[in-house]
Amino acid sequence: MLGKGGKRKFDEHEDGLEGKVVSPTDGPSKVSYTLQRQTIFNISLMKLYNHRPLTEPSLQKTVLINNMLRRIQEELKQEGSLRPMFVAASQPADPLSDNFREAQPAFSHLASAPLLPADLVSTMPLESCLTPASLLEDDTFCTSPAVQHDDGAAKPPPPALQAVKDSFSSALDEIEELCPAPTSAEAVAAEPAAGDPKAQPGEPDVHNKPEGLPEGRTAEPKLMDPLPGNFEITASTGFLTDLTLDDILFADIDTSMYDFDPCTSAAGAASKMAPVSADELLKTLAPYSSQPVTPNQPFKMDLTELDHIMEVLVGS
Amino acid sequence: QNKTQSHSRGEYNVYSTFQSHEPEFDYLKSLEIEEKINKIRWLPQKNAAQFLLSTNDKTIKLWKISERDKRPEGYNLKEEDGRYRDPTTVTTLRVPVFRPMDLMVEASPRRIFANAHTYHINSISINSDYETYLSADDLRINLWHLEITDRSFNIVDIKPANMEELTEVITAAEFHPNSCSTFVYSSSKGTIRLCDMRASALCDRHSKLFEEPEDPSNRSFFSEIISSISDVKFSHSGRYMMTRDYLSVKIWDLNMENRPVETYQVHEYLRSKLCSLYENDCIFDKFECCWNGSDRQVEFLIVMTGSYNNFFRMFDRNTKRDITLEASRENNKPRTVLKPRKVCASGKRKKDEISVDSLDFNKKILHTAWHPKENIIAVATTNNLYIFQDKMN
Repeated sequence: MLGKGGKRKFDEHEDGLEGKVVSPTDGPSKVSYTLQRQTIFNISLMKLYNHRPLTEPSLQKTVLINNMLRRIQEELKQEGSLRPMFVAASQPADPLSDNFREAQPAFSHLASAPLLPADLVSTMPLESCLTPASLLEDDTFCTSPAVQHDDGAAKPPPPALQAVKDSFSSALDEIEELCPAPTSAEAVAAEPAAGDPKAQPGEPDVHNKPEGLPEGRTAEPKLMDPLPGNFEITASTGFLTDLTLDDILFADIDTSMYDFDPCTSAAGAASKMAPVSADELLKTLAPYSSQPVTPNQPFKMDLTELDHIMEVLVGS
Repeated sequence: QNKTQSHSRGEYNVYSTFQSHEPEFDYLKSLEIEEKINKIRWLPQKNAAQFLLSTNDKTIKLWKISERDKRPEGYNLKEEDGRYRDPTTVTTLRVPVFRPMDLMVEASPRRIFANAHTYHINSISINSDYETYLSADDLRINLWHLEITDRSFNIVDIKPANMEELTEVITAAEFHPNSCSTFVYSSSKGTIRLCDMRASALCDRHSKLFEEPEDPSNRSFFSEIISSISDVKFSHSGRYMMTRDYLSVKIWDLNMENRPVETYQVHEYLRSKLCSLYENDCIFDKFECCWNGSDRQVEFLIVMTGSYNNFFRMFDRNTKRDITLEASRENNKPRTVLKPRKVCASGKRKKDEISVDSLDFNKKILHTAWHPKENIIAVATTNNLYIFQDKMN
């Protein structure tokens, strides 16, 4: 629409996507519904975090995009609650499991590649595996201890995992079970996903958010502050750091979706989003890594190192 | 600033240009406050000068625009160029007289209403008492007196205690044209609330809530976003109000809250493009709408609003007919009658029709205005202002 030639193809694809209203309960069209939903979710994330305005972003636009994200998360959550499997729990006090939980997205980052084709086949529990929301919700508890509140806006409490480590290995097994032999279409989608996970776009760059929130996540506790001063300062961006912000930080499992996301144009835009989630990951994995951790440093850890770190975490 | 095109029998020239707002920097938030004007409202004219309120995101200003077409000449103590004469050289006295001069239009700021809005101002509306006005931002509405700049009263506050619970913002507000204690405000969820200032100091509880139930057959991911109301305008009688959301214009009877009395589709063919329009942000475009003017006490019959590709639309409430016109230099010579346009939604495109995929979404008409008394309209494209006149005149 904006550049007629190229966009026309996009529009046709989008028209195929959108077309009529697709109910989530239809059989084969459930796939396109899920695809559309994921596309919109990705676009919404990019909108919220990808731009760096010199002026205050429009509160109305932010609220509408945030509502969109919440609605999609709600849906995913409801679908996921039918068969709770990979849905994480509330916080443990154990620092080791803290690290475990934060490494978990890294693991899912690898596992999600084969999971993606399964998602196209679209069974409920698989979607719950790939859902950032359920995992992330509990990640917020362990990484931002000040944020103890209810997330507001009608979010059902996540079901708890009894023993984290037990479920982790059993979840591993389940993933392997559920992962079917890829069909031709899925193989095409899986190939770029599995082939180069390093290049997969990660989450939007949180550290590039407007300067009004330079502390990044550490500013979240300030949102609880009833003092009007703090509210005013962080007002238009601060309220974003409810679920959404933390979702972004740990949404590695979502990254594979970006690969066949028809809306993500160039790798350039995508690569800009990579560093931050990696930064967070690096910070938490710092004790286990020999690399110095600085924010904004591009994510240089390669796959083998990641494997090694995972072994260390899982083994102990 | 204004640029005009002469597209009708009358010739239009720029009357006056002045800088209303300057960019500012908010040091607390490290963000720039744009000088971009969000709304302009004229005050009712009381004397030779015109007054208007203009606002950017944070500051409202009252401007006085006056004409000067005469100047005094023949001072005794001053030369014509303004230099003072040595009184000892004055030998005769004369009475200064006014002589005509080239028209000079002066704009001077009379009041500056600042520091009352934390969020971006989206509306200003002058009360029928001609003494007060309201200004609305995303979460609050303030009441001002035109003479008092250092104080305003908060009459609506929808900011939640916990900002993370925020799901709805105020998008527009307007005073009732006849009842000086009544106003409405619209929201990003497609609701309109009517409030009475006599009920309480803080009008957080509405007197009436106008909301149309969602059409389940049209439900999509974007239902909420396209229901967000971008403009609300009362009819002159105050019996009806008109709202503009992304795809339609709705006319509401103030006596009926549960649905509008009329709905007009502005560009329904965009419904299947919402995902793309979401991606390129066009879905957040804020279109205004307006009633036709009339000097008779007749209920307003035509409504007008803008669209993309430099198209604008008019709906006749009586005949239920609608028309699409284009504001562009290429297709229209001055003094020619505008040719109706048609967008082909799907299927085979007829001659002279334009297909949806070739619409230019950068050419958007967000602002249109109708002369209060005559059939003259002003239509703003991105870089030009078009003035059209009814050919019957």
